[in-house]
Amino acid sequence: MIWLTWRQHRGQILTTAGFLLAYGALLLVSSIGKSRVRECAASAVDACPWFTAGSTELYLLAEHSYGWISLLIPALIGAFWGAPLLAREFERGTDQLAWTQAVPPRRWLLTKLGVLGGLLMLGGLALSAMASAWYAAFTPARGGKWFSDLGVFHMVGVAPAFWWLFAFALGTASGALLRKMLPAMAVTVTGIVLAVYSLQSLSDHYAEPVRVMVEERMDHFQDVRWVGDAWVALSGAETESPPLDVCPDGPDVRPVGGVDGQAHCLLEKGYRFASYLHPPSRFWRFQWTEAGILLAGSALLFGFTVARTVRRTR
Amino acid sequence: MSGETVVRMPGTGPADDPGPTALEATGLSKSYRRNEALRDCSLSVPAGRVVALVGPNGAGKSTFLKLVVGLLEPTEGSVKVLGEPLRPEPESMARVAFLAQDKPLYPGFTVAETLRFGRIANPRWDQDLATGRLEELGIPLNRKVGRLSGGQRTQVALTLAIAKRADLLVLDEPLADLDPLARHDVLRGLMVGVADTGVTVLFSSHVVSDLEGVCDWLVVLNGGRVQLNGDVDRLLAGHRRLTGPAEGAGPLAERFPVIARSGTERQDTLLVQATEPLLPPEWTAHPVGLEELVLAYLRRPDAAVAVPPILSSAR
Repeated sequence: MIWLTWRQHRGQILTTAGFLLAYGALLLVSSIGKSRVRECAASAVDACPWFTAGSTELYLLAEHSYGWISLLIPALIGAFWGAPLLAREFERGTDQLAWTQAVPPRRWLLTKLGVLGGLLMLGGLALSAMASAWYAAFTPARGGKWFSDLGVFHMVGVAPAFWWLFAFALGTASGALLRKMLPAMAVTVTGIVLAVYSLQSLSDHYAEPVRVMVEERMDHFQDVRWVGDAWVALSGAETESPPLDVCPDGPDVRPVGGVDGQAHCLLEKGYRFASYLHPPSRFWRFQWTEAGILLAGSALLFGFTVARTVRRTR
Repeated sequence: MSGETVVRMPGTGPADDPGPTALEATGLSKSYRRNEALRDCSLSVPAGRVVALVGPNGAGKSTFLKLVVGLLEPTEGSVKVLGEPLRPEPESMARVAFLAQDKPLYPGFTVAETLRFGRIANPRWDQDLATGRLEELGIPLNRKVGRLSGGQRTQVALTLAIAKRADLLVLDEPLADLDPLARHDVLRGLMVGVADTGVTVLFSSHVVSDLEGVCDWLVVLNGGRVQLNGDVDRLLAGHRRLTGPAEGAGPLAERFPVIARSGTERQDTLLVQATEPLLPPEWTAHPVGLEELVLAYLRRPDAAVAVPPILSSAR
């Protein structure tokens, strides 16, 4: 059965492995180029070697890839690993071939889901390892936006592994439901985009945000996820928008010493400005919360797929 | 033709034991949402037979076969293969082989990979039989399935089903989409492939002329119901075509269940359920052919009511 899984899905497996190798090569070459540019800039020599010319572009390409790879790759995995798994069998009628051999459909399906899901999680972890190494190489110890930049956050830690698994689960479930490859692929891509954006907006609620007063926030403002602001009165009461009855705002309120006029007025009257945010120490908590949500979603989708496939009504 | 008339077929008495039952369906029904594809079908077929399942398009043949092989679950009723219902377990699934109507195969697999798939997926797999058969047919093992001709693809699919070494081999329209020469080759290949193995073959067809000399058991499905079910020789022996003067037809129709009636002003022809009818001197009885018999029943979907119970049951 493992041979069958390999034989039927080797195209996807090899393509994904090829992508990982190519992406790793891009990261490696761009990092070598970048360090040469640094050396070159540090040295007093005027003429830098020819190969540093394109390396800045390469570095920028690698840096910008973090934003879209974390969305694009799950969408492709859902569409090309997940959706065809059942939909192509139904479309070609080969479900009638596969499920009338002496392998019960449940075992056939669980083998495929297990082998392919496991490979995808390994692939996601490999991507995370490469992306983390590259990002760490170019950010100072206390710099970097590992937590606050969602593009980076979804490329490191355990996030890629669970996103890949979820995409695969969503693809197989829509294939089991729709039984046609193209509609299943379209639904899967749409679903992944929706899931990415829903979890991005949901992620503010993974934990209770921390309130940080403006005077102490300079120390804490590295790599945080900002949730909201508030004005805190002397009484401790908070308002989200500046209280207009205390200090008016308008075109005639002039800035004072580079600070917004209304804000200056409020600070004068004893108001304090606070921000609600998630500190970067919550990196792993957020990683595992997201992983848990994706794992639960995958389990539900896999359960649906198995139930739908084993209970044959058509 | 009265519904109460019961014609005893020769040799269907209790003394004649048909042996073990290969296939037994009890009250089998299948509905797709509001559409009823199969209604209360009960039949049983003795082991070792070549069974033709005949019926017009949309009669429920494919539904019936998919219920037999477990690809569908019945809305009501049950199916037993060699006395046991089919379960989703390897030993149970190994007892039934199936060739679906479109002969589905993986087009990207080579013939050898298709056989490898059969080998790993079937505990009773007979590799020598499979390779020997394909060699004999001149089908190259390293060719991709998608590049074979239609007849060759059917032969590969059939080989996959035969080499599974099942007790019941179920084929859904194995001859459709084939030219006459390929039909003959496939049919001959099937007969050679199953000869001396004791396997029961159940195949559906809507081309009645293909059946003569091939099947020895007949099931006619019409409008989702079992219209006819029995040993071919006995069915043929139980029907006669009577010809005689038109004025004598009325009294004869009172005595025998009439399946078909045709004729001119002067002469009438009746296809009746009868074995050795005693006839008026001006009437003669002729044996009927399989095709003639099947067509007569298919043209009369309501004739199921006229069919005595003995015909719709193997026991």
